[in-house]
Amino acid sequence: MTTTGRLMAVLAMLALGAASTACATVQPWQRGRLANRCMQFSPDPALTAFAGHWQESREGAAGGLGLQGGGCGCK
Amino acid sequence: MAASRVLLVGVLATVLAVAVVVFLDGTQPKAQDIQAESVGVMFHTFVDSRGVTVLSPTVDFGKDFTNRTGLRVGFGVDAISAASDSCARCHQEGATNTRAYLNGSLIKTYGDTKVSVGGEYSRENFYQATTLSTSITRSLNQANTTVAGGYSFSWNRPQLHPDTIVEKQSSQTAYATMTQTLSKSTIAQLGYELGHVTGYQSNPFLRTSVDHIKMVGVHPDVRTRHALTARLRQALPGATYLEADFRRYLDDWQVHANTWSAGLSHEFGPKLTLSGIYRRHAQQGAYFYEPAYTGSPQYYTADFRIFPFDSNLFTGRMILTPSDGLMMFPAGSSLTAQYEFYKSTTDFESAIFTIGVRMPLRRP
Amino acid sequence: MKFLQVLAAIAVLGSMSVAASGGNRVAPTLSLPDRDGATISLQSLKGKVVLVDIWASWCIPCRAAFPAYDSLYRQYRDQGFEVLAINVDETRSAADRFLSGREFQMRVLFDPAGVAPTGFNVRAMPTSYLVDKQGAIRFSHEGFTDKALPQYRREVEQLIQEAR
Repeated sequence: MTTTGRLMAVLAMLALGAASTACATVQPWQRGRLANRCMQFSPDPALTAFAGHWQESREGAAGGLGLQGGGCGCK
Repeated sequence: MAASRVLLVGVLATVLAVAVVVFLDGTQPKAQDIQAESVGVMFHTFVDSRGVTVLSPTVDFGKDFTNRTGLRVGFGVDAISAASDSCARCHQEGATNTRAYLNGSLIKTYGDTKVSVGGEYSRENFYQATTLSTSITRSLNQANTTVAGGYSFSWNRPQLHPDTIVEKQSSQTAYATMTQTLSKSTIAQLGYELGHVTGYQSNPFLRTSVDHIKMVGVHPDVRTRHALTARLRQALPGATYLEADFRRYLDDWQVHANTWSAGLSHEFGPKLTLSGIYRRHAQQGAYFYEPAYTGSPQYYTADFRIFPFDSNLFTGRMILTPSDGLMMFPAGSSLTAQYEFYKSTTDFESAIFTIGVRMPLRRP
Repeated sequence: MKFLQVLAAIAVLGSMSVAASGGNRVAPTLSLPDRDGATISLQSLKGKVVLVDIWASWCIPCRAAFPAYDSLYRQYRDQGFEVLAINVDETRSAADRFLSGREFQMRVLFDPAGVAPTGFNVRAMPTSYLVDKQGAIRFSHEGFTDKALPQYRREVEQLIQEAR
């Protein structure tokens, strides 16, 4: 890994740590807005996959699309 | 010919999808997540200034068989017509290619943890790719924090058309993300993805000038890639939502890039959502990129993907969800229509139009 | 309406975490409005077995549970069984959109301030609680699947038998 890569990885770890300790807890019944489709990072995985496919066939950068999390948090 | 074949595949896919919905509508629903139980059919049309046209119908299907087990399947076909100069030297009438893919994943839930195992197989005229993947997701702190990770391995077989030689390439990717609820209306995500590609990575279709002689490019056979992402979703007053994403990409070919996007969505009542998104991508060229080469360079490229350029992408999207269903589709079905315009500083332009329907497998 | 919610909040805070006989937690005091605006209190249902369901229109498994709980109510209502489906949507219109066009007989109450889930210490959506004749919480379920319905029926029948 290059120096820049290592630096980015360290910054990412620090940011993750900071984010996890500095946030309010939203109660399960208060997640109405968070459950909205527009609040999802990838509400339609098929659309996201197609966009990733054609963008990677035209650009040199790739990745960052297969990410999870958010939503209503329902069981 | 390719277009009519694709249209036939698309119609068959739609009929199959409706049949699946009708068949499964009578089954006993067992799952917790109805939203994931759906069938989606989409048609994409991609046209660009290099003379490439792609018609792409896709179908995806999701079904939960128990409260802990789910299955996701997707397949699609890209009918690619290319009339670019690299094809035209042998195919004056233009060239066609069909890429088909099939993917699937099995998802198991254990309390707050989800594990998935899956794979994809794709094949086109001169390229074959097989991918196996696995991922794990864990909810913490009453679902306010989600951590996820995944790994995939691909075996790829590019053929050096018009030669019959088939090269080898393998790719490994690992990613980790953390999603954090910041407030009742704010959620953020940080992610990191590491990729390592070994094997043949040149482009056998594109030629560059080396001492005024047109030659197929030669790329290094190892590439290590990093992508760091930061994403935000913010609910604003009045049924409006803000999305903002940033990706910092680095690799050892020095194709460093920043990609950021921002968009707004607004709900016009419960049935109609309109969205507008702008994306800006700026990348450096590979360290071995030159507009033309002299002497005996170790690496040389004509692959426009690793040139330096900036690009802008404009996206407009509409999602319609009538309460009583959509024509012959059941209640809860939604129609998506999207138009995208992409323009880069290399005078490359493309337009992508997508239309699709998503049908729930049971009443939401 | 807001005054009633404040009163309910005070009542809930006053009755939280009191242990009943046998170590079961006493259900919190609740008084919430129904669709017609009438105030229904959990305490007024003492002597009956009550299923308290905390649900929201944006919660997919809650929507799946809704008809299932209504069918439980229809099956056991004549044996002293009640269901209180407490909606916690922040906007009433979202709840009304879900309810319109659906036939149901169980009681639906509205709690946009989240008084009931606070009192019950809800940790996931949806969560349901079975409250016995004495007002003690005897069973609770996080999430919902149709596969769990036989177990719900066994628990309701057990508590109804005790009520007799």
